[in-house]
Amino acid sequence: MSIIQINNLHKTYTDTKVPVKAVNGISLSIEEGEFTAIVGPSGSGKTTFLNLMGGLDTPTEGDILIGDKNIKDLNSRQLIDFRLHHIGFVFQSYNLIPVLTAIENVAFIMELQGIPKKERHQIAMELLKKTGLEGKENYRPGELSGGQQQRVSVARALASKPKFILADEPTANLDSASTEDLLNMMAELNKSENMTFIFSTHDKRVMDKARRIVTIDDGKVVSDV
Amino acid sequence: MAWRNLWRNKRRTYITATSVVLALVLALFMRSMQFGSYETMIRAGVNEVGNMQVHDTGYWDNKTIDRAFFTNTALEQKISSLPGVLHMLPHLETFVLASYGDKTKGVQLVGVNPEAEDLQVKISGKITSGSYLKKGQAGLVIGDKIAEYLNINIGDSLVVMGQGYEGTTAVGIYPVTGIAHFISPQMNNLMVYMDLETLQKLIFPFQPGLLTGISVYCEPGLEDQLLSTIKASVGDHFEVISWKVMLSDMLQSIKLDNLSGMVMLMILYIIVAFGIFSTVLMMTVERRRQFAVMISIGMRKGKLVITSIFESIFIALIGVVTGLILTTPALMYLYLNPIRMTGEMAAMYESFNQEPLMAFSIAPSIFFSQSLIVLSLALLSALYPIFYVLRFNVLNALRQ
Repeated sequence: MSIIQINNLHKTYTDTKVPVKAVNGISLSIEEGEFTAIVGPSGSGKTTFLNLMGGLDTPTEGDILIGDKNIKDLNSRQLIDFRLHHIGFVFQSYNLIPVLTAIENVAFIMELQGIPKKERHQIAMELLKKTGLEGKENYRPGELSGGQQQRVSVARALASKPKFILADEPTANLDSASTEDLLNMMAELNKSENMTFIFSTHDKRVMDKARRIVTIDDGKVVSDV
Repeated sequence: MAWRNLWRNKRRTYITATSVVLALVLALFMRSMQFGSYETMIRAGVNEVGNMQVHDTGYWDNKTIDRAFFTNTALEQKISSLPGVLHMLPHLETFVLASYGDKTKGVQLVGVNPEAEDLQVKISGKITSGSYLKKGQAGLVIGDKIAEYLNINIGDSLVVMGQGYEGTTAVGIYPVTGIAHFISPQMNNLMVYMDLETLQKLIFPFQPGLLTGISVYCEPGLEDQLLSTIKASVGDHFEVISWKVMLSDMLQSIKLDNLSGMVMLMILYIIVAFGIFSTVLMMTVERRRQFAVMISIGMRKGKLVITSIFESIFIALIGVVTGLILTTPALMYLYLNPIRMTGEMAAMYESFNQEPLMAFSIAPSIFFSQSLIVLSLALLSALYPIFYVLRFNVLNALRQ
């Protein structure tokens, strides 16, 4: 079942001296439970593409249908709410809230969703357990390793029960052991929870784990295998 | 979260809160001292003139003896029976020439009811030589500067000469029974007190009871209400003048002094405002990426704005609460034990017709207003993160 349907997507930046076509007519369909890597050289448009899918940027042309919603039609406030309830994000630099503990970071998104304290605490505990962080609940990000922080970040992305998780180069700042652990964990979550993961990456190890690889160059899909 | 954000950089938060504490402590001490001295001035002034005075209509604008009136029991009873009136002091005042030997000086001769007057104004406590007035006794209490000028001593007789009531001439000779030292140099140079009945006989011997005014003292807080009640009850023949009119010069100088204090405070608060603002600015800009992530994952900008506002308020609250904790006991102590000035400082106070006491006020309004100003400054500083977040570009921040 298709959860994301992208039709003829364009994004042109006009605030530069010469207009830049970062995304140039991408059409793509993502099925539920996919473990997909968006790959391509630097400047190929993969981060812009991911930002468009995540509703962080608005397309110049084309449609992004998530479920039955075309996110192009949502205003900025509706987009924030849409992201909160439908999209999980994992960032390259983890981007956890430094003043909150691991469990609070995970629970934070559920707090935004209005889930009662007791329930969100329980869910956050379960997610930390699933991501192998049992016993680290009360550590602040500064007290965790990069790999552990990225695991918290994945747990946070899962906490909102999203339709899919967008991960922008999630392993870029990790050593090989942490990368391996993280990828195994995400693959496991993909399998056990049927959670859809979409990565943008340069990392060969991520590509090796991915079941589908979409290669982008000059803002266009050049291969999809 | 706002509270925790403050402690990301403890040292910065401590420094900002300390600047708020220092400003508040300074402001509270300054205002407490200012208001303390105003309260003392007003209290002393009201103690002398009463909360209000009843005169013959027109007397206040034209203080001539011909605008004196004859008191009657009905009038006094009418006023004294009003709820809130504590007591009344009748006066007869006139300007006369006082002569001793070959020297003459213009003085303000005031006839008072010795016992009642002393209970309120406590002239007896200001006597430096001789004794205070006695009812029915033909003696005078004079300011020490008058005594010095005329070179007159206790027991010597002073000739007084002036205009009597309705064109009569008032001339008398009375012994000096007491020399007093008042706080005000002007009073020392001008005031001569004598028994009311004796003065009445001097000014108009043909009918007793001549007065120029009745000072009315009332319970605190009832002044405005009583002023209108008394005005209504005494009728058109009499005017009722509030102390605010009688001491308008003093109130004017208080206003002016208060204004200069406010300018000083404004400068102080501008410095504090910049302190709070610079912290808020740093806290906002350094979390650009964090804001971007929070908005990306679904936090509404409004919530982010509220968090930022709370951060500013918390900094101000830490400063305000600490400032109040430090200042309140000290001001309470100084309120109960005002500092008595000596030497040149005392002389300066006396030149302003003030007792040489550095008094402090603990009026709740001082604490409220200063705390409120600091909190308002914090809110003002929070405008920056509000505009920052509302105009925030998530993608630019994420790319950074």
